[in-house]
Amino acid sequence: MTVAARLDSITRRFGPVTALDKVDFELAPGEIHGLLGENGAGKTTLANILGGLLAPDAGRVEIGGQRVELRSARDARALGVAMVHQHFSLVPRFTGFENVALFNGEAWTRRGMIAPGYRSQVEAHASELKLDVELDAPVAALGVGERQRVEILKALMSETRVLLLDEPTAVLAPQEVDGLFAVLREVAGAGTAIVLVAHKLDEVLAVADRVTVLRRGRHVLTEEAAGLSAGELAEAMVGRALAAPSVRGQEGRLEADSVPVAVLGDVTVGTGDAPALSDVSMTVHRGEIFGIAGVDGNGQRALAAVLAGTLKPDTGTATLPGEVGWIPQDRGEEGLVKEFTITENVALALHEKPGYRRGPWLDWARIGGTSAALVDDLDVLARSPDTSAGTLSGGNQQKVVTGREFLRAGELLVAESPTRGLDVKATRAVRDRIVQLARTGNRPPGVVLISADLDEVLELADRIAVMVRGRLIPVERDDHNAAAIGALMLSAGDGTP
Amino acid sequence: MTPRTRARLRPEFLATITATAAVVATMAVAAALLALGGHSPGEAFAALARGAFGTWDRFVSFTLVRATPLLLTGLAVAFAFRARVWNIGAEGQLHAGALAGVAVALVLPGAGAVLVLPVTLLAAAAAGALWASIPAAMKTGMGVGEVITTLLMNFVALFLAQFLVQGPLRESRGVFNQTDEIPAAAHLPALLPDTRLHLGFLIGVVIAVGLWLYLTRTPGGFRLRAAGASVKAAEVSGRFSVAPVIWLSFLVSGAIAGLAGWIQIAGVTHRMYEGLSPGWGYTAIAVALLARLHPLAVVVTAIVFGALSAGGGAMQREAGVPEVWVRGIEALVILAVLTADRIVQWTTHSRD
Repeated sequence: MTVAARLDSITRRFGPVTALDKVDFELAPGEIHGLLGENGAGKTTLANILGGLLAPDAGRVEIGGQRVELRSARDARALGVAMVHQHFSLVPRFTGFENVALFNGEAWTRRGMIAPGYRSQVEAHASELKLDVELDAPVAALGVGERQRVEILKALMSETRVLLLDEPTAVLAPQEVDGLFAVLREVAGAGTAIVLVAHKLDEVLAVADRVTVLRRGRHVLTEEAAGLSAGELAEAMVGRALAAPSVRGQEGRLEADSVPVAVLGDVTVGTGDAPALSDVSMTVHRGEIFGIAGVDGNGQRALAAVLAGTLKPDTGTATLPGEVGWIPQDRGEEGLVKEFTITENVALALHEKPGYRRGPWLDWARIGGTSAALVDDLDVLARSPDTSAGTLSGGNQQKVVTGREFLRAGELLVAESPTRGLDVKATRAVRDRIVQLARTGNRPPGVVLISADLDEVLELADRIAVMVRGRLIPVERDDHNAAAIGALMLSAGDGTP
Repeated sequence: MTPRTRARLRPEFLATITATAAVVATMAVAAALLALGGHSPGEAFAALARGAFGTWDRFVSFTLVRATPLLLTGLAVAFAFRARVWNIGAEGQLHAGALAGVAVALVLPGAGAVLVLPVTLLAAAAAGALWASIPAAMKTGMGVGEVITTLLMNFVALFLAQFLVQGPLRESRGVFNQTDEIPAAAHLPALLPDTRLHLGFLIGVVIAVGLWLYLTRTPGGFRLRAAGASVKAAEVSGRFSVAPVIWLSFLVSGAIAGLAGWIQIAGVTHRMYEGLSPGWGYTAIAVALLARLHPLAVVVTAIVFGALSAGGGAMQREAGVPEVWVRGIEALVILAVLTADRIVQWTTHSRD
């Protein structure tokens, strides 16, 4: 079999995290190859390595049978590898045609003009691929689906051996997805190998010839799509054996005298076809860990902000404690001020509290004491509480954020992907602290754990719900079948998995 | 990536090193340029130093007096920049304050002498704040970038000042485009006997200390620094809204710049005229950046720029080097500081 591209035993690390661990991947000419995995499984990393955006730490990349070292996307393009990113790279004020020409060297004459015949070439190529592209309107005036077609045409104008599409369906309406797939079949029919990075199972099964599943940076399977069911794929993606031995959640441990600390009633945020939150109702009790699983971008952000009290629901009611601990998803941008010291970052939670003031002044001595205790208590590896937060490792940064938010979590803690990007040791430390928080003392707070990592939710949560397209779907704790929940996470969200 | 506990220099220490390195580099480049221009660098620098620091009176009556408007506008800029509010409009706010102070001083008839100064100072601060409130409203209300609006408001203020001193506020003799002299009660008293140094310099130093205390010791100052460093972190982790912080930094910055204009008149010129400011509001940006936006360091950098200004004249008289060279040196200082800053950033963050 001829091979369009091959990745051989690729390893790539980001700091303490191994994003890809000796992964093999092979592309045949003319095939549509679905690349599946949860958030953080390594799909995008793999695509970026093939697209020349990332260099592997170890392993070989072969394109068209030749071993290559890609230093940039330009190198990859020269070898016939084109990439369409999740966020398009188009100039909004230029027309579709100008955008196509801008990124293709052969469109230009020596004097820097667009070659006279190029327009007809573009049109001919578009109709060959049955790609309905609006060439004359500024890209800014186009819908998302139309922009995507411009992007695809742009990528395919030069000879293309491999086309990489990173989550192309994430931004599309269902009917546009069908159109995209028709185009992809046309493109593949012309001999181009297509890598379709995705996490919606049904879509991948509908269009792909073969499927590769990654899980936590490791290769799980590569098989013909025809022989696979959605259930098998979901199981491969989330893994089945892992949840059982380490479960710490306790179903029904709160039945009798459970005190609610936060109640949402029919909360909706945003309007139109795709509200961020749609009729979400939930009750969180003292001492429980309420796990919310879901693929990123299904309304978790809005839910966390509503629970933390920084976002008011458009409709519905939210009864919340006065102060809520919130470990935000993006610790680097939202959880910390990197230029600040650890103590100053801790002060973000303390500066309004009367106990930390003397008259009009901040009582830095007391804040420093609390900060030092926190650093000590959570084993933050830092020279002192006066160390600048930006110089800490990700795990230590997250410990600082966690410790600070515990100060606010007298009643309720919202933990959003609290272990994303952390190494094994730091992950365990943060999880232990969250469990400990919810399990000890006379008045433990309620914890809402929002995570795209299903294992994490299964391990820690007492109750579980799945968030899909802004809706919250409760699932029974005792049928905590990873594959079933995984399939629900990846479903269309109409409540029928 | 292993857990890092790499040493990091204290920001103040780093600032001192950068500023010193920048000034030394500037002097080296300036010396080379002077030599190329056919002047003796040694002679020129000596004359400049004598003019700025040669005698106690040169230092107090010239360097410190010229440093005063730079000190105030420099503080105004530094405070706004701390909140990442890019107030380029200190020049316009200075003019607004100057006009308000003069107008009130001229209009206030026979008021108790004790009251004239506080009232005019308040009027100047209020006018500066008012001038800054327009870009503030445009930024917080409509998301219009303040770099453009504050800059353009400068021209509005400048032309307004021109119009007023040519028309409604023109001196009663009607000879020059300037206002009448303000009554003696509105003059700022001398700070040191037998020198030209006036109370305005002390006001500047007090404001510098006040801003420093505010930024480092109060909840409000803490919020301002957090919002300036990261709006997202301020809102998510600090749980406060950034808009009031932006308003405050605009208004305080405008008020201090407004004071600068009136204090120059009340302490030195005693009238308002066209071209009152040689661009202090712009030089202030260099003063603030050179001080790395630290209010106490602004006192030092303002004196450095005051010395350049005071020494420039002496350089022209004694070494025959045209005074425009001083403007060139000021520009070199800005370039050197920006370059040094970037180098520091590279060396401290390149491994992240």
